[in-house]
Amino acid sequence: MEFIYQYAWLIPVLPLAGAMLVGLGLITFGKDINRLRSVNSVFIVSLIGAAMTFAFGLFWSQLQGHAPYTRSFEWAAAGDFHLTMGYVIDPLSSLMLVIVTTVALLVMIYTDGYMAHDPGYVRFYAYLSLFSSSMLGLVISPNLVQVYIFWELVGMCSYLLIGFWYDRKAAADACQKAFVTNRVGDFGLLLGILGLYWATRSFDFGMIGERLQDLVATGSISGFLAALFAILVFLGPVAKSAQFPLHVWLPDAMEGPTPISALIHAATMVAAGVFLIARMFPVFEGIPAAMSVIAWTGAFTAFLGATIAITQNDIKKGLAYSTMSQLGYMVMAMGVGAYSAGLFHLMTHAYFKAMLFLGSGSVIHGMESVVGHDPAYAQDMRMMGGLRKYMPMTAITFLIGTLAISGIPPFAGFWSKDEILSSAFAANPLLWLIGYGTAGVTAFYMFRMYFSTFEGKFRGTDANVKQTIRNEQLQNMGLAFGPGAMDPRELTMDAPLGETVDPGQDEHHAHEPHESPLTMTLPLLILAIPSTLIGLVGTPFANYFEAFIHAPGEVVQLASEAGQETLSEFYVMAGSSVGISLIGISLAVLMYLSRKLDPGAIAAKIPFFYRLSKNKWYFDEFYDQFFVQGSRRLARQVLEVDSKVVDGVVNLAGLVTLLTGEGLKYLENGRAQFYALIIFVAVLGLVIFSGVS
Amino acid sequence: MVSTSFPWLTTLILLPLVASLFIPVLPDKQGKTVRWYALGIGLLDFALSVYAVSSQYNFQNSDFQLAESYVWVPQVGINWSVAIDGISMPLVILAGLVTTLSMLAAWQVKEKPRLFYFLMLVMYSAQIGVFCAQDMIQFFLMWEVELVPVYILISIWGGQKRLYAATKFILYTAIGSIFILVAALAMAFYGDVMTFNMHELGLKQYSLPFELLVYAGLLIAYGVKLPIFPLHTWLPDAHGEASAPVSMILAGVLLKMGGYALIRMNIEMLPHAHAYFAPVLAILGIVNIIYGALASFAQRNLKRRMAYSSISHMGFVLLGIASFTELGMNGAVLQMLSHGLIAPALFFLAGIVYDRTHTLDMDDMGGLAKKMPTTFALFTICSMASLALPGMSGFVGELAVFLGFTTSDAYTATFKGVVVLLAAVGLIITPIYLLSMLRDMFYGKEGKAVVQAVVLDVKPREFFIAACLLLPIIGIGLYPKLATETYDVKTVAIASHARNAVPVVANQTFKDQPQFSIAEQPPFGIAPKMPIANPELLGMVR
Repeated sequence: MEFIYQYAWLIPVLPLAGAMLVGLGLITFGKDINRLRSVNSVFIVSLIGAAMTFAFGLFWSQLQGHAPYTRSFEWAAAGDFHLTMGYVIDPLSSLMLVIVTTVALLVMIYTDGYMAHDPGYVRFYAYLSLFSSSMLGLVISPNLVQVYIFWELVGMCSYLLIGFWYDRKAAADACQKAFVTNRVGDFGLLLGILGLYWATRSFDFGMIGERLQDLVATGSISGFLAALFAILVFLGPVAKSAQFPLHVWLPDAMEGPTPISALIHAATMVAAGVFLIARMFPVFEGIPAAMSVIAWTGAFTAFLGATIAITQNDIKKGLAYSTMSQLGYMVMAMGVGAYSAGLFHLMTHAYFKAMLFLGSGSVIHGMESVVGHDPAYAQDMRMMGGLRKYMPMTAITFLIGTLAISGIPPFAGFWSKDEILSSAFAANPLLWLIGYGTAGVTAFYMFRMYFSTFEGKFRGTDANVKQTIRNEQLQNMGLAFGPGAMDPRELTMDAPLGETVDPGQDEHHAHEPHESPLTMTLPLLILAIPSTLIGLVGTPFANYFEAFIHAPGEVVQLASEAGQETLSEFYVMAGSSVGISLIGISLAVLMYLSRKLDPGAIAAKIPFFYRLSKNKWYFDEFYDQFFVQGSRRLARQVLEVDSKVVDGVVNLAGLVTLLTGEGLKYLENGRAQFYALIIFVAVLGLVIFSGVS
Repeated sequence: MVSTSFPWLTTLILLPLVASLFIPVLPDKQGKTVRWYALGIGLLDFALSVYAVSSQYNFQNSDFQLAESYVWVPQVGINWSVAIDGISMPLVILAGLVTTLSMLAAWQVKEKPRLFYFLMLVMYSAQIGVFCAQDMIQFFLMWEVELVPVYILISIWGGQKRLYAATKFILYTAIGSIFILVAALAMAFYGDVMTFNMHELGLKQYSLPFELLVYAGLLIAYGVKLPIFPLHTWLPDAHGEASAPVSMILAGVLLKMGGYALIRMNIEMLPHAHAYFAPVLAILGIVNIIYGALASFAQRNLKRRMAYSSISHMGFVLLGIASFTELGMNGAVLQMLSHGLIAPALFFLAGIVYDRTHTLDMDDMGGLAKKMPTTFALFTICSMASLALPGMSGFVGELAVFLGFTTSDAYTATFKGVVVLLAAVGLIITPIYLLSMLRDMFYGKEGKAVVQAVVLDVKPREFFIAACLLLPIIGIGLYPKLATETYDVKTVAIASHARNAVPVVANQTFKDQPQFSIAEQPPFGIAPKMPIANPELLGMVR
C-alpha cells in the first residue's frame, strides 16, 4: 500500500494537468479546441476519475488503520527561514479527498448534459478541473501557509465560475462580490497566520496549538492576544463558509451555472471553512473565547439562513440560504467541541445538498424549454408546480434530499444533525434551542420548496404569474436607480427582461417541461444512495464515523460501551427533533400542498417579519451603503487630494514658481520644453566633457 | 578589484549604445530593417547577460562579481568600475528581458522609427549601466543618461497630454537626481580619503548627523523614482501618457532603479542612518500601499489605474527594506522582480486593448470578452498575478515581506501589529480595483467604444510577448526558490549588515519608534547573525 502514499501528490496534480492542457489549448487554438467537446470532457472526467480511484485507495488504507503519512519538500527559503509544502494523508484528509473527488466526478458527468448547448462547454470543464485540483490541494495541506495558498486558489476558481456567463451583468457583479468578500476573510486569515507565526514560529497545526498553550500558560502571551489570533484565523472560514457577517456573497454566487452551485457553493468549497476549523482544532480547543465566538456565529448563521430561505422564490437562492444555514450547524458543532459531529454533517450535507442543487439544475433545465433562457423565470418557483409528472426521477431524488435535510430518519441528515444538536445541548441549552428551532424552519422551507416545485399544477404557462414576476423585477431595478427615479415600469414594460433572453430560443417553446437526459439524472440517482444511507455509519448505536474521525488526541468510546444512559438521551433528543421537523412539514403541507392556509394572508399579518426575511435582513442594502459606496467615496476623495493637494504642494516645492501646477499648462506649446531639454543636455555634456579633458 | 578575462559587464553596457550609433546610417524601408536590427541587438545583449551570469556568476557568493575597473577621469578620481551582486544581477536580467520585449511590442511604430529604436537602445545601455555601476559619479551619469530618452519617448510617442507628462517627469527626476550628485560629492570628500568608489564609501565612518543628512537626500532622489508618497505625482502622468512599450519599461525597470538604489546606498552605505529612518520607510510604505490602491480605485483611465497600482505595490518594497530581516529583504527584492514582470504585462495588454478600441476610458469599454477571449484570459491572469494570487510571483513577494516584518525584532509588537494590519488592508483594496477594472472592460454589455471597433484578438507576436512575461511569473509563483536562490546570500548579508548597525536603545516604547531590542536574545532562538552560506542551500543551485 505504501506506493499509493508516495504517489498521493498525483491526486491534485492530475486535474491540474488536465486544466492546464485544456486551458493552454483554449488560449492558443481556441476555435479548434472548442470544437473537440467530448474529447476534452472525457479527458478531464477520466483524470478526476483516476484521482478518485487514488482517493478511495487511500481512504481504504486509512480505514484499515494505516498511520498518517506526511511528505514535504522545501518550497521557499530566505536565510534561516524555511517554508515547506507537501501533503498529509490522515483520516480527515482521506475522507475529504473521497468527498471532493466523488462529488466532482458526478458533477462533471452532469455538466455534460447541463452545458450541452453552451458555447463555453470546454472552458467550463477546464475551470471545473482547476477547481477540483485546488480543492484537493487544500484538503491535503500539512500547514497553514499551504492552506492559505489553496484557499485563495479555490476562491479564484469560484470567481471564474460565478462569472462564467460574463455577458450577464448580474454574474459580473456577483463574482466580484464573492472574491472581495472572501478577501476580507482572507485578510483575517493572513493576519491570524502571521500572528500565530510571530507567537509560535510555526505553521504546523499541532505545533501551533501546543506552543500557544505553553505561551499562554507561562504568561509570555496574553490570553487576549491568543484569542485575537484565533478569531482572526476564524475570519477565513467565516467568509468561505458564508457565515454571518460575511455571508452575503453566497446567494449572489448562484448566478453561476448550476453544476458549480452544487460542487463549489454547496458540497466542497464552502465546507472548506469547516475543514479549516477542524484542522485548527488543536489551536481553537485551548481558547474558550474563540470557541464560543465560533459556536455563536454558527448558531446565528443557521438561524439567519433558515429565516431568509422561507420567503425566497428563486429555487437556487432558497437552496443557497439553506446551505448557509446548514454550514452554520457545522460551525456551531465545531464551536461546541463536537469535532466529529461537525465533519459528519459536512459529509452527509455534501452529498444531499449536491443532489438537491443538481436536482434544481435539472428543474431549471426542464423549465427553460418552456419559459426560455431567462433565470428570472426559469428559476422562479411560482412558475413551476406539478413537475413530478414530467420529471419523475428528478422529483424522487429531490424528495430524498428534502427528507434528508429535514432530519427524517433514516435519511443521512437526521443522524448528523441530531448528533450536533445533542452536543449543543450538552454545551449550552440556548445554542441547542436555536439549532432546534432552525431544524423546524428547515423542514418547513424545504417542503415548501418541494411542494411548490413538484406538486400541484404546472404554472409555467400562466401569464398572470409571469406578469407578477416581471413587475417585481422591474420594481427591483427601479429601486436600484434610487427613490428619485421615475417609475420604470411605464418605460420598460415591453422591453425584454434582463440581458439573457435569447430571442432565437423564444420562438419555439414547448408547452411542457421534460425530464433531463441520462447524464444529468444518473448523477442524481447515484447521489441518492449516500443521501439515504450514509448516515448509518454514524448512528449512536455504532458510531463508526467517530471512531475513524475524531479530534487529535481525543479518546473515543463507542456508544455501545457508553451504556444505556446515552441511548435513552438519544431517543429523547431524536424524538423531539423529528417532532419539530414534522410540525414544519405539516405546516408546509397545509400551506403549499393542500392550500388550506394562505401563505399570503399570513405574510400580510406579520408584514415586518415578512419584509425582513424577503429582503434578507437588509444586509445587502446596508453593506452597499456603508462599504461599497463608502469605499468609492473615500477613493474619490483620495484622488481629489492627490490631484489638488499633493500634486500642487510638490510642484510648489519644485523650486521654480513658473513650473508649479498651473504654470505647466502654459508650457505646453513645446518650445519651452525644448529649450529646457537643450539646456539640460548641454549641462550634461559639459560635465562629461570637462571630466574627460 | 580584479578584472575577469573578458569584460562582460562593460560589453553588456556598451553594446546597445554603440549599436544605436549605426541606426542613422542603416539602409531602411519604412522602419522594417531598423526594428529587426534593434530587436537583434536587444536579444543579443539579453543572451549575453544570461550567458555571462550563468557561466561566470556564483550564486552562493554574496560579494561583487564580474568586476572590472578602469581609470576614467584620473584628475578627479572617477573610475569606470562595474560589478554585479545578488541585488543587481536579477535586475540586469529583468532589464534585458523587459526592454527586449518592449522593442518587440513596439513593432508597429509608424512615426520616426529610427529615432524610436535609437532611444530604446540608449535607454537599454543606461539601465544596465545603473545596475552595474560601482562608482558614484558613473552611477549618477548613467542615471541621467537614462532620463533623456524617456523624456523624448514620452513627448513624441505619448498620448494627448504627452508634453505635460514628459516635462513633469524630467523635472521631478532631474531635481531628484541633484540630490544624488550632492550626496555623492559630500560623501566623497568626507574624511581624509577622496573616493567615488561605492565600496570604499561604504567603509567610511561618517558622523551620524552627516549620515542622516545624506540619507535624507538620497531618499528624496530615490523616493521620486520608486516612487514614494508624496513624490509620486509624476508617475500617473508619465505612465498614463507614454505609449505602451515605453510604459512597460517605465513600470518594469525604471521604478526598480529607485528600489535598487535605496538598498545599494541607503542601506549598504548608510546603515546607521537607516536604523533611524526605517520606521519612516515603513510608514511611507503603508501610505503607498493604501493611498495608491484607493487612488487607483477612483481612476477611470485604464493606464492611470495601473500606474497608481504600481505605487501601491512598491509600498511592499519599502516595508521589506525597513524590516531588518533576511526574509523581508528577500521579499523586497522579489517584489521588485515580480512587479517588474507583472506591470509590463498589464501595460502591454492595456496597449493591445487601446490599439483595438482607441480608448483608455473604462466607461467606454465593456463586453470585450466576447470579441477578445484570449486577451480576456491573459488580462485575467495578469490581474490575478497583480492582486497577489498564490501560484504567481506577486504572492510570494508579499508573503515574504509580511513574514519578514512580522518576525522583525527591531520594532515593538504594537508598531509591527499596526503596520502589518494596515498593509493587509491593501490586500482587500487591491482586488477591488483590479476586478472592477476587469468587470468594466470585459464583462457585461458592449460599451460605446467596443461596439464601433473592429476588434481583433491577440496576434501571435503579442501572445508571445505576454507568454514571455507570464512564464517567469508563474514559474516563480510555483517554486519561488527558482528566483530567490539566486540572490538569497546577498539579501541575508544586507539584512545582517543593517541589523548590526541598529543601536541598542532601551525601553523605547513609542508607537512610531522602533524598539531596538538586543539582537542576541530574540524569541525562539532566531540567530542574530546569518551563517554566510547555508549548507542546505549550497546543495540547491549548481
